[in-house]
Amino acid sequence: MFETVIGLEVHVQLNTKTKLFCSCPTSFAEHQNINTCPTCLALPGALPVVNREAVIKAMRFGYAVNATVNHISNFDRKSYFYPDSPSAYQITQLYRAVVQNGELFIDLDNGTKKRIGITQAHLEADAGKNIHDGDISKVDLNRAGTPLMEIVSEPDMRSASEAVAYLKKLHSTVRYLDISDANMQEGSFRCDVNVSIRPKGQKEFGTRVEIKNINSFKFVASAINYEVQRQIEAYEDGIYKDEVIQETRLWDTDRGVTKSMRGKEEAADYRYFPDPDLRPLVVTDEMIEEAKKMPELPDAKVKRYIEELKIKRVDALIICSDKELAQFFEEMLSRGASAKTSVNWLTTELLGRLNKSGYSIIDSPVSGKKLGELVSKIDSGAINGKGAKDILDVLMEEDRDIDELIESMGLAQISDDRAILEIIDNILSKNQDKVEEYRGGKVKLIGFFVGQVMKASRGSANPQKVNQLLRERLK
Amino acid sequence: MTIDNKVLENLEKLSMIKIEEDKKEELTKQLTEILEFVDNLNELDTSNLDSSFSTLAGGTPMREDIPDSNIQISKDILSHAPKMADDFFIVPKIIE
Repeated sequence: MFETVIGLEVHVQLNTKTKLFCSCPTSFAEHQNINTCPTCLALPGALPVVNREAVIKAMRFGYAVNATVNHISNFDRKSYFYPDSPSAYQITQLYRAVVQNGELFIDLDNGTKKRIGITQAHLEADAGKNIHDGDISKVDLNRAGTPLMEIVSEPDMRSASEAVAYLKKLHSTVRYLDISDANMQEGSFRCDVNVSIRPKGQKEFGTRVEIKNINSFKFVASAINYEVQRQIEAYEDGIYKDEVIQETRLWDTDRGVTKSMRGKEEAADYRYFPDPDLRPLVVTDEMIEEAKKMPELPDAKVKRYIEELKIKRVDALIICSDKELAQFFEEMLSRGASAKTSVNWLTTELLGRLNKSGYSIIDSPVSGKKLGELVSKIDSGAINGKGAKDILDVLMEEDRDIDELIESMGLAQISDDRAILEIIDNILSKNQDKVEEYRGGKVKLIGFFVGQVMKASRGSANPQKVNQLLRERLK
Repeated sequence: MTIDNKVLENLEKLSMIKIEEDKKEELTKQLTEILEFVDNLNELDTSNLDSSFSTLAGGTPMREDIPDSNIQISKDILSHAPKMADDFFIVPKIIE
């Protein structure tokens, strides 16, 4: 039996307005090379000046994951030669990062939490982009110098699902903190995976393989599972030493395999040294104060939802996993909707409809306030669930006034005892034989009576009320 | 550290400079001399010094996150590039 050991390196693009070391705007999908200047193009004599906001965002992350935020850290140069980096080096933090020794807790399926250590989070400059085109490569340096925070985890994860849970938690944390858009497709949340295996009980780690180029949570799981299988097979076939070497492999989405980059990296020698253009990064008290201002984070929110709103843990986890979903939920509550009914109407009714029509919670045609209003009508008994579903279907198509819809669709629910009793008495007198049978012990007939009353009211009677009043009348 | 053929070969690769066979011996000698010269620095005891020790006081200056761009600058730089097309810098193919 084998144990899988996984560590993750995640590059998060910080959502600052400007680059890390110059005032060029950060951008995505803009005209090539439009956001460049002598500094990010590495012209001789141009010097880097640190973006204070980027430092604060990294610090805020540090405080959010219970890390040490170093009041003094340093920038280092990592030399490499490639056209996406005009300076032929990347400015990063190797020896003393701004954030060290943090932790993140993931929720396991069995209801327990697991701690994943965060070794460090450091600031560094992103590279530009190359577009390969026939005999030439085209270089776009708009992205060169964009601030990245690289978050390095401890090798604490033991399965693909733990790795994905960690990534999702990290993703929602940076989204809650509003320090990154964290869009995997656009590359503002990129993940490299380190995977090794070892026989159960062995203390030493096996040979670590790094997998790059993974751009979705799903692929992270597939890449890990493939790589673990490959390493186990090599072990069992007695060729572990030859097959599993410390190397970088690429995830091939189309073929569903990891591929060796062997040969391309052997010459790498990064020649790290402290960047002489930048003095130590010293954070001020004002910066610390600013960085410590943060919103309610997922863990605290889940706890509050369970304790104060009395909703189920599994529901709280779903809603809090996504900042926008939690915001939506809280908007519903602000319209007087009860927490319990809101959970169901948000996670089942609305999300189901959004999914079906290709929307997400962000571009939902029905707002949180609107759905909250609808749910509060169910809570008060003004409409029943069936009617509310019909209204929600209409609202998905166009934004209409709910009261008007209740009126025009004839969905107003009768909760008035007298009106319901009138219908009940009418039904009972028409079905004297069944009333006798019920009183004689055939209590299952209650379903028949409820059905008849609901039918007579054309679905507008409050079913709970009908049930309660029928039982009283049939005593 | 001694400069031997293997180190020289790696340096060729890293610097992307081809060293002719008949120059190798001379270059090895020169590189060794340079290393010996720099080695003089090791006479100083720096064990009590921080690696970021500086004669300058204070931290690196910082700036506010306010965008500032001048399209003319990038246009000028692009126009001086050895090769450019459609506002891209053009380099030899870098993937096989």
